[in-house]
Amino acid sequence: MEIRPILSALLRSKTGPILVALQVALSLAILANAAHIVNERRAVAARPSGLSDEHAAFYITVRNLANDTPEQQLANIKRQTAVLRTVGGVKSVANVSQMPLSRNGSNSSVAVDPRQDKPSATASTYVSGDSLVQTFGLKLVEGRDFLPPELLDVNGETTSDPPPQVILTKPLADKLWPNQSAIGKTMYFGTGKDARGTQVVGVVEALMSAHGEVGERGDHSVIIPARLYGSEPVILYAIRTEPGQRDRVMKEAEDALRKSSATPMITKMKTVDEDRKDRYRADVALQWMLVTVSVLLLLITASGIVGMASLWVTQRRKQIGVRRALGAKKTDILRYFIAENFMITSAGVFGGVALGLALNQLLVSKLEMARLPAGYLVFGALGFWLLGVLAAYGPAWRAASISPATATRSV
Amino acid sequence: MFGYYFRLGVRSLRRNPALTALMVLTLAVGVAASVSTLTILHMMSSDPIPQKSSRLFVPLIDNGPVEGYTPGEDPEDIQISYKDALNLLKGGQGVRRTALYGVSAPVQPPRADIQPFNLTGLAPTRDFFAMFDVPFLHGQAWTEQDDARGADVVVLSREIAEKLYGDADPVGQRIALMGFPFTIVGVIDNWMPLPRFYRLNGGVRYGAGEEFFIPLATSIRHEVTHNGSMSCSSNAGAGFAARLASECTWITVWFETASAGDRAELQTWLDNYAADQRKLGRLKRNAQNRLYDVPEWLVYTKVVGKDSKLQTWLAFGFLALCLVNTIGLLLAKFSVRAAEIGVRRALGASRAEIFRQFLIETSVVGLVGGVLGLVLAFGALALIGMQGKQTAAVAHMDWQMLILTFVISVGAAILAGLLPTWRACQVTPAIQLKSQ
Repeated sequence: MEIRPILSALLRSKTGPILVALQVALSLAILANAAHIVNERRAVAARPSGLSDEHAAFYITVRNLANDTPEQQLANIKRQTAVLRTVGGVKSVANVSQMPLSRNGSNSSVAVDPRQDKPSATASTYVSGDSLVQTFGLKLVEGRDFLPPELLDVNGETTSDPPPQVILTKPLADKLWPNQSAIGKTMYFGTGKDARGTQVVGVVEALMSAHGEVGERGDHSVIIPARLYGSEPVILYAIRTEPGQRDRVMKEAEDALRKSSATPMITKMKTVDEDRKDRYRADVALQWMLVTVSVLLLLITASGIVGMASLWVTQRRKQIGVRRALGAKKTDILRYFIAENFMITSAGVFGGVALGLALNQLLVSKLEMARLPAGYLVFGALGFWLLGVLAAYGPAWRAASISPATATRSV
Repeated sequence: MFGYYFRLGVRSLRRNPALTALMVLTLAVGVAASVSTLTILHMMSSDPIPQKSSRLFVPLIDNGPVEGYTPGEDPEDIQISYKDALNLLKGGQGVRRTALYGVSAPVQPPRADIQPFNLTGLAPTRDFFAMFDVPFLHGQAWTEQDDARGADVVVLSREIAEKLYGDADPVGQRIALMGFPFTIVGVIDNWMPLPRFYRLNGGVRYGAGEEFFIPLATSIRHEVTHNGSMSCSSNAGAGFAARLASECTWITVWFETASAGDRAELQTWLDNYAADQRKLGRLKRNAQNRLYDVPEWLVYTKVVGKDSKLQTWLAFGFLALCLVNTIGLLLAKFSVRAAEIGVRRALGASRAEIFRQFLIETSVVGLVGGVLGLVLAFGALALIGMQGKQTAAVAHMDWQMLILTFVISVGAAILAGLLPTWRACQVTPAIQLKSQ
């Protein structure tokens, strides 16, 4: 097949082909970057929280309206924990300071050596007087869970020293002691003279931070064995239920708590599923926006190619008729238009790859987005070649169907 | 001639309905995407208090440890310590000043039919209301004596006042907050600056108003913990008193000056204060003391998210694609009218006339596409608004954006029409007439 005549025909009327190529280039550039961002966000939102069964987990916060003394509050915590454990369908209850993905919680800087200038990492701090390994269903990969005597009652008004043992998440342990076992090592909260050491007794596979940050910080958590009382008026209980019974248990748990208390109280309940949805709401919204734009982009580009190809077919009816009359077969005409379109699309694709890289460079430098892997551009290029051929096929087929007799009649 | 060309343009919409519909739709979708994302960006970054944004200042004093400090780096937090906040208040700089932090408190409603619930709000000093032009529905702000004594007084939001007392004026009534009787001194009218620039710590920056206000001193006296973020560079120690004495940062301070020009004076005072504190050995870092007016503050705290910018950029890329597409479609549309142009030219129309006629015709397309785009944009914004309270607050179109939409759509159509129109002018009448 001769490419030369197609090329010289294209060069004679450049505007249309340039417009189509430009469309392909713009679409490819935007689409590749959009697809990359969508995939990235999906990966972020799909990170495991570490909870064995998120759908069966919820939490309830309780604020007693009576201004209790710290000791009264401790008694209340113990009583309410016991009450919640008696509710049918409840598998495990823990009084804990914060929930993963709830976007409400504390961090602490941690260090391997108190003489460090800068801390080694920032860890999300889960303070619980019960076994979070059991309530959250965390997977211990090294060491052990806290022993019952290690779970201390701590008055937050008078004590700020951490208990002697902690459990870390695997990503945090690996960050602090790369290629070593963290078990038995001493980790420090803070640096300098205020640093407080504590021993690592266990490592769990994963427990996402309270804020669910993007990047490694989202995986850095530490579990501190303390039933904290006296410093916070709001008490949080995390509850895991039998699979599928969460919604029923939620209702009954609140009723049970209310019945057990003589003073009025304010309770609030939320499921981990809701927290997850809220945490990633913006990411999901962005994904939807990008997917919508991408679909429209493809439709518009395809319609542009179809439109221009149809126009050229109409304009060249007579030439096609002449070619057919001179012996060109239908497939020759079909091939001509497809080849022509392929050449235009190719120009667009090459332009699109360059434009896509430039757009990504802009996003990287101005918005600190991630670099675009080459795969997206390769797949995008293949997709647009296919799209170009498919879109041109209809008009090309119509061109090929022109009968030489009618097309040349008016010449 | 304008009216005539305009009518011709409207008529030609009907000539190739499929092509025209595609053109209008392409333009409308492009306009809708760019306008709706731009509206959100505009609402997010607009000046929340234009009348005095250049006279309101936030100070930032870096009280971090000297270990691991690189000169010139930003402070860890966008808040300051309680000690610094008190000293700045005492300094008496500017015409007004306030220190504030977010609080929440349980309220026991006076009506038995409402269960106790939690209020979230703010603990500022008295000047806050005047500084930020907070409108009062009933009563007024508490007095300076209330601030000094830490009196149990409260200002409620309109929403909460109506929930608890209906339409009656509750000023003077007592209400149980945190188990203590507070006297209601005022009720503010609906007030929700976008973004919540006066307190940017914590997650919610849009679509959240304050439900109640109590004096800072009162809140401290009742040891109300902060509802927001706190950053500590060292162990704060246990208990509320230790927190007040610590270098943890959890308070925001605002100054109002008489004019924007008084900024230098305030900066000098701030530098002197920090120098004194450095001499006392309290401030360790030799960092610059910063002062931000409202627009600078919104930039420094990165109020406009990267995602919003990304969406706007991509939407404008999309609009560019739609434009290229429209150019192609217009070329196709005009190319079949070469004969008509030939006749007009032969009958004496100049190229400028042809140019005018076709430009007006493309403007008509732009107009129709713009109107449709506006409808789509409203739909898109409504859809975005359903995502949640935060986004609903910024997914509103104001008259500025309406005009901009109009300009964008017609401008886009004219831009798209330039090349096809120019091509239409190049038609040589002789050739066209010969071939007929």
